[in-house]
Amino acid sequence: MGVTVDVAYKSLNKFSEVLCGDKVELLHTDDSNIMILADGMGSGVKANILATMTSKILGTMFLNGATLEECVETIVETLPVCQVRQIAYSTFSILQVFHNGDAYLVEFDNPGCIFIRDGSLVPIPHSMRVIRDKKINEYRFRVKKGDALILLSDGTIHAGVGQLLNFGWLWEDVASYAVKQYRLTISAVRLANALCRACDELYQYRPGDDTTVAVMRVIDSKPVHLMTGPPKDPEDDLCMVKDFLTGDDTTKRIVCGGTSANIVSRTMEKKLTVSLDYYDPDLPPVAYIDGIELVTEGVLTLNRVLKLLKRYVKNESVTEEFFLELDKPNGASMVAKMIIEDCTELKLYVGKAINSAYQNPGLPFDLGIRQNLVEQLKHAVEEMGKTVTVAYY
Amino acid sequence: MRVTICIGSACHLKGSREIIAQLQSLVREKNLEDQVDLNGSFCSGNCVNGVCVTVDGQIYSLKPEDTKEFFDKEILGRL
Repeated sequence: MGVTVDVAYKSLNKFSEVLCGDKVELLHTDDSNIMILADGMGSGVKANILATMTSKILGTMFLNGATLEECVETIVETLPVCQVRQIAYSTFSILQVFHNGDAYLVEFDNPGCIFIRDGSLVPIPHSMRVIRDKKINEYRFRVKKGDALILLSDGTIHAGVGQLLNFGWLWEDVASYAVKQYRLTISAVRLANALCRACDELYQYRPGDDTTVAVMRVIDSKPVHLMTGPPKDPEDDLCMVKDFLTGDDTTKRIVCGGTSANIVSRTMEKKLTVSLDYYDPDLPPVAYIDGIELVTEGVLTLNRVLKLLKRYVKNESVTEEFFLELDKPNGASMVAKMIIEDCTELKLYVGKAINSAYQNPGLPFDLGIRQNLVEQLKHAVEEMGKTVTVAYY
Repeated sequence: MRVTICIGSACHLKGSREIIAQLQSLVREKNLEDQVDLNGSFCSGNCVNGVCVTVDGQIYSLKPEDTKEFFDKEILGRL
């Protein structure tokens, strides 16, 4: 069946805290995607350590095929005991979706997972299991395209408690808001952000607790091919372009680089039209080749793309303003938007030729850094939970 | 007449944007929109000097401050 997912999360720190006490891990195995949300007791450094350890232990052990019992046991044995409360405690939720459509949800003391199918809420049955005195809910089910699964930390349902709302934002209300936003948004990141923003508003921008929303949307696979830089040996032009053009009609293609664009245009025998419309003074305009989704200049644009992706991965600064930036019509925003919102796996086709004109100390920017940028780009996109492959020519 | 300005990485850093803006306003000023066709192009392989500008196939290397002179001589001069 080939299920692919779009995953993203957003956290708000408790007001005045530098560290977040919630932690999300996004992982993938050969046949599944895993999303883990842990919420450490308390806030600040202590909570951050508890949550990080919990999510890392769960992630690592799950990846290596440990059973749930073994995972829980390890967490109980390992977590440092809080001096104030004399317990070691972190809640967690684990969601694993296999490529064949099977799904497995484990919940311990977090608010229940919100499961949206065909635009409405699907109740998740309770089947409690006790492991080491901990009541853990397990649920095995099947997913289908269009489903959205949302993990929450309790900061969400406590939003506004005692201030705007007597009892906080009740789970049912969070869920119905999520259903509404599900219809209004396409990507996981916008859905996560919409929910977090609502929490922030209910908290009157001073969250009383760490708040995290982690979203997984089941979507069609969306491969993106990105070609940048001419091959070291011009004889490889043809082979590089041929590889770049592989894939089916769901594959989107981006060319980042003037010379690369010329090569693609020549090889495909399609005209390259360069626009003169500057939407950003620091970035050269985009260009057009029939059959290629996006054609931009190379290194300057990629440098900006990387900045946007890093901002996104760091997560703290993903706000409305970030999306406004992402929606701008300049080349870098368009590339970043496609990678963040419209891509499940990224294939990079990178040429290693060195442009002698770029080895010019008179230029205010080092243009000879393509491979370095590509490596950083790869890491950033992998951190988003997407698969990245790089081929050098 | 077809005038092509390179907007590749190197030329961009050397000021293609400024040159394009100047040429666009000069063309407008003289009402030459029907006669002068301004285009962009990616790297034309002549990045070592200034911004690479091609007029009817002939390559020039331009600095932003020389744009007016270039326009008077190479563009107006040929019409």
